[in-house]
Amino acid sequence: MKYEFSKAVENLAPSGIRAFFDLVMNSDGDVISLGVGEPDFATPWNIREEAIYALERGMTSYTSNMGLSELRRHISEYLKKIFKYSYDRHTEILITNGVSEGVDIVFRSLLNPGDEVILPEPVYVCYRPLIELCGAKVVSIDTSLSDFIPDPKAIANAITKKTKAIVLCSPSNPTGAVIPQSVLNQIADLSKKHGFWVLSDEIYAELTYEDNYPKIANLPGMKDHTIVLNGFSKAFAMTGFRLGYICAPKALIERANKIHQYAALCAPILSQVAGVEALKGGRTELDVMKRSYLARRNWFVKQLNKIGLPTVLPSGAFYCFPSIKETGLSSEEFALQLFKSNSVAVVPGSVFGAGGEGFVRCCYASSMDDLKEAVVRIEDFLKKRK
Amino acid sequence: MTSLEKQVLQVLKENARQSDETIAEMLNTTPQKVKSLIKKLEKNNTIIQYTTVINERKLAQDFGEVRALIEIRVKPEKRHGFEAIARRIAKHSNVIEHYLTSGNYDFLIVVTGESMMDISSFVSDRLASIENIVSTSTHFIMKKYKENGVLVQSEENKDRLVITP
Repeated sequence: MKYEFSKAVENLAPSGIRAFFDLVMNSDGDVISLGVGEPDFATPWNIREEAIYALERGMTSYTSNMGLSELRRHISEYLKKIFKYSYDRHTEILITNGVSEGVDIVFRSLLNPGDEVILPEPVYVCYRPLIELCGAKVVSIDTSLSDFIPDPKAIANAITKKTKAIVLCSPSNPTGAVIPQSVLNQIADLSKKHGFWVLSDEIYAELTYEDNYPKIANLPGMKDHTIVLNGFSKAFAMTGFRLGYICAPKALIERANKIHQYAALCAPILSQVAGVEALKGGRTELDVMKRSYLARRNWFVKQLNKIGLPTVLPSGAFYCFPSIKETGLSSEEFALQLFKSNSVAVVPGSVFGAGGEGFVRCCYASSMDDLKEAVVRIEDFLKKRK
Repeated sequence: MTSLEKQVLQVLKENARQSDETIAEMLNTTPQKVKSLIKKLEKNNTIIQYTTVINERKLAQDFGEVRALIEIRVKPEKRHGFEAIARRIAKHSNVIEHYLTSGNYDFLIVVTGESMMDISSFVSDRLASIENIVSTSTHFIMKKYKENGVLVQSEENKDRLVITP
């Protein structure tokens, strides 16, 4: 008797990161990893303490599907204050298990088989497989041709009658690029003209190193077809808490909640309680962490350029995307050889989709000592190849 | 104080051995500016000294060092208040910190010695005999958890996955 599996899952390409991940994880020795995707800070103590205190008080039950009312109230106020977004805490905000769950249930709420989703790449690895799991088609835009900023002309050319949505991730993982306001304005116009949703993943929004974070959600006429995803992982160093939220029109939230209530029920109560504290009292620590990332970005990107890896200064997040094209190696070859010969782990840009080939992603959320050592080792690797 | 001066101080507070070149690159300025800025802060006594936060327990294994917090009540001098007495106490080389405080006592000092006997001798021979000192209260430090914003036993956050998307 043969027991079959879902064809949709069988057809999903295995993660490009997996093989490299296994190699690095199984290695001994003194590896410096620039391949992490999370802050090197522990969650600020006042936030952790709030979660511990909630546990001590016996807060261990389910919350409502939508999430703790108090948390949604604070999120609504936070979004108003920091981003000038207006989302009603009762009907337009849904608390999820990380932005990851948010992305999944939003796609499942929107997409029918045969729909098309425009995806500027290189981009974070989760969107493509989750779109394809819905039976929808990814229409990729190679942003390496336009300094890693989505080109509105390329987007316009990619629009068809089947276009259901576009996914924007700004600041970007893996490039750290921030989409300028002028480009967002043009994308907004296209979305209104052709009638497709805008999914804006803003998980790194607080880690923008410019004065203003460019926004699409609060442009005139955009709220009814824009979905904002955000969470606590990166800004407040709460990756393990699994706490995110969807902000969208009531109609979308209702549908996403239909899935969420069955598939997840609710986000962990301890994480939600911690989230309240993050918004009430986490700002000081956020600023400290952000200043630290900025200083490390400034130093690290300069070094990469000095040693011969052309790197654009990223405007946000904590990644940079140096070009390794001059070595003549592919991204994967470069990452593998660098790891084997000098014990530095970087992520091949090719795993992030079109336009990622020829680049590697380096995360600078590591101590200055580790970054300094990494630069020494990478420079040695490049010299050995000459 | 300018914003850049404050940022340089923050970097030095975390690592006083950071080079001028590295600080300049971190803060998007030039090494020359960092050098002259640090000189200025040294000159105007904003930067008093460069020091190192040490886990004395490790020293104590071989070199034996004890610390005590001592509260001191003082009869202030006419016209001079606490200043002259403060200077007399602070000049002792084994007084490593000295504060004027509110509350039941006037001064709080931190003292080092080779042993508890050593510190007790200091209190009885040196401190108690100073004119105007009315009374003292000595608390021996059993363990240091944090100094200058630095945890002696830093939290282990080494459990990040080596590669994550």
